[in-house]
Amino acid sequence: MELRRYIVRRMIQVIIIFFLILTVLFLLFRLAPGDPVSMMVDPDMTQEDAEILIVQLGLDQPIGVQYLIYLKNFFTGHFGFSFHYGEPVVDIIWNRLPNTILLFTTSIILSALVGVFLGKIASWHKGKKTDSLMTIGALVTHTLFLPWLALILIWIFAYKFGWFPINGMISEEVWLDPEAGFIAKALDVMYHMVLPLFTLFLIHFGAYLLIMRSSMLETLKEDYILTARAKGLTEKVIRDHHAAPNAALPVVTSVGLSLAFSINGGALTETVFTWPGIGRELVSSVSQNDYPLALACFLMIAGVVLVSNLVVDVLYAYLDPRIRY
Amino acid sequence: MAILEVENVSIGYNTKKGYLKAVERVSFTLDEGGSLGFVGESGCGKTTIGMALMGLLPPNGSVREGRILFEGKNTLRMSDEEIRKIRWREMAMIFQAAMNALNPVQRVGNQIAEAILVHDLSIGKEEAMGQVEALFELVGIPRDRLRDYPHQYSGGMKQRAVIAMALACHPKLIIADEPTTALDVIVQDQILGEIKDLQKEFDLSIIFISHDISIVADMCNDIGVMYAGQLVEFGPREQVFESPAHPYTKALLSSFPTVTGKKSDLIPIPGETPNLVVPPTGCRFCDRCSEPGPSCKTETPAWVEIGPGHKTLCCRC
Repeated sequence: MELRRYIVRRMIQVIIIFFLILTVLFLLFRLAPGDPVSMMVDPDMTQEDAEILIVQLGLDQPIGVQYLIYLKNFFTGHFGFSFHYGEPVVDIIWNRLPNTILLFTTSIILSALVGVFLGKIASWHKGKKTDSLMTIGALVTHTLFLPWLALILIWIFAYKFGWFPINGMISEEVWLDPEAGFIAKALDVMYHMVLPLFTLFLIHFGAYLLIMRSSMLETLKEDYILTARAKGLTEKVIRDHHAAPNAALPVVTSVGLSLAFSINGGALTETVFTWPGIGRELVSSVSQNDYPLALACFLMIAGVVLVSNLVVDVLYAYLDPRIRY
Repeated sequence: MAILEVENVSIGYNTKKGYLKAVERVSFTLDEGGSLGFVGESGCGKTTIGMALMGLLPPNGSVREGRILFEGKNTLRMSDEEIRKIRWREMAMIFQAAMNALNPVQRVGNQIAEAILVHDLSIGKEEAMGQVEALFELVGIPRDRLRDYPHQYSGGMKQRAVIAMALACHPKLIIADEPTTALDVIVQDQILGEIKDLQKEFDLSIIFISHDISIVADMCNDIGVMYAGQLVEFGPREQVFESPAHPYTKALLSSFPTVTGKKSDLIPIPGETPNLVVPPTGCRFCDRCSEPGPSCKTETPAWVEIGPGHKTLCCRC
């Protein structure tokens, strides 16, 4: 009951913050160089089309009215058309978002699970060879430069050995084949996902390993671990049921933040692997002055950051009964 | 019959500054159903003894010499698995609950049930929870708090829960390490009363560890006074209280106020405890002693029998 009230309160906060972001973005785009007309109206349009759009967007109105129109467009889902694609921005976003979520959510969950598991083992063998190897390994992989690692992996596994595709997310011959069922298509996507996933995994699991390791070492010093040992519990139960769940709490925070920033932080990965996701779209929309699309991408990122923070907070309140804000 | 015999036990810790001799040649026996209290200031080694009895010394600690016989079996010779099975079923510990003795993210009832389940494989979760309910009743916690988390308890309730946990497997020996130190005096009094009642009811043997000599005197039949890793005086409560032999015991007694006794000035003990990495030769209390003799600095003190069961480690007695 208490938890539900907390969730409702946090959701109201999220809505208010999103509204503020919406406003800030409106102002930012008005402050950007060039007048709003040249920003929001495609230079390739005919004069009449441009006139219609200017009226539609309210660009001939004072700024207060423009803001209201902007809000109305947002709430009715009108984000305009992309200059570059000529398609509705909404369609482009909905098209790209699942690809990004698929790649990054999978990679973060995978690296968190492996990182937590290895971190637990490392802390358990503190100061021994297993621990040193894991800690050094985690530090090395975590500090690698992502695009470099991605290119090296592509060079070895895609170019030299030819085990995996060099880039992209799908093979045309599979998706154009009317015979191919859902499983064949899913397998094709997974096959394309192996290298980007592996790259992200290598970069990220080390961070989780190190967080989990140090958090475990702290937890193992707690008095309740001594109690657990005094109760005659086996070492495995102490490690897995008394220390690990408590120690994993900071990892949950870290996972939430990673999820939030994967949407934009993934721009590099998506660009190197030409993965058709939001991150890559953001980079290209900005460099091509595709303002409507860029605006939508920014809003999307803000939304994802807010929602994943909310999810982490709720998860935290669920995992740690002491937390009631 | 003696449930516990500790013979000549020395315990130390490897530290950065060297090998710290936390406990030196301590011997005592505890009879079945008996109660023994250890008093002494922080760092005198009383908690170390408790931990060694449970086989719970930290990784850098070890028992250097001596024997700990629990029901005639040397626990120091036992494998980890053997001692794990004795823990809690045969000897349990009441921790100081103000510290995090309970896991903050698990329900109190489950934590107690866990102790029952690990030692009795024949019963199920339901039955264990039933037993926990009975334990809660015993220590005076309402049943509906079973599913609460530790942070929802008051200090006194936490301490009661920790006591309930110690009783969970019906152990023969309970080691209570400063069980009431962080509680206010009224709750402290209630809890101590409960421990006393429970001891009678279940015929428990108790080792009570405290820095507060009045509590130990209230709780225990025998008192062991510890100073700088050594037992310096041991005997029945009345004797230790009424005719303390060791200068440290005397100093300890006159540094505590009494409500009912005759009014006297409190006398603090000057100086500080010696460094246990390089302990001084001779009597360890010599530098703080109010009546040191000429040979105290050089001569290693030996045990002197004062009365029946009452002995002290002092050159001048």
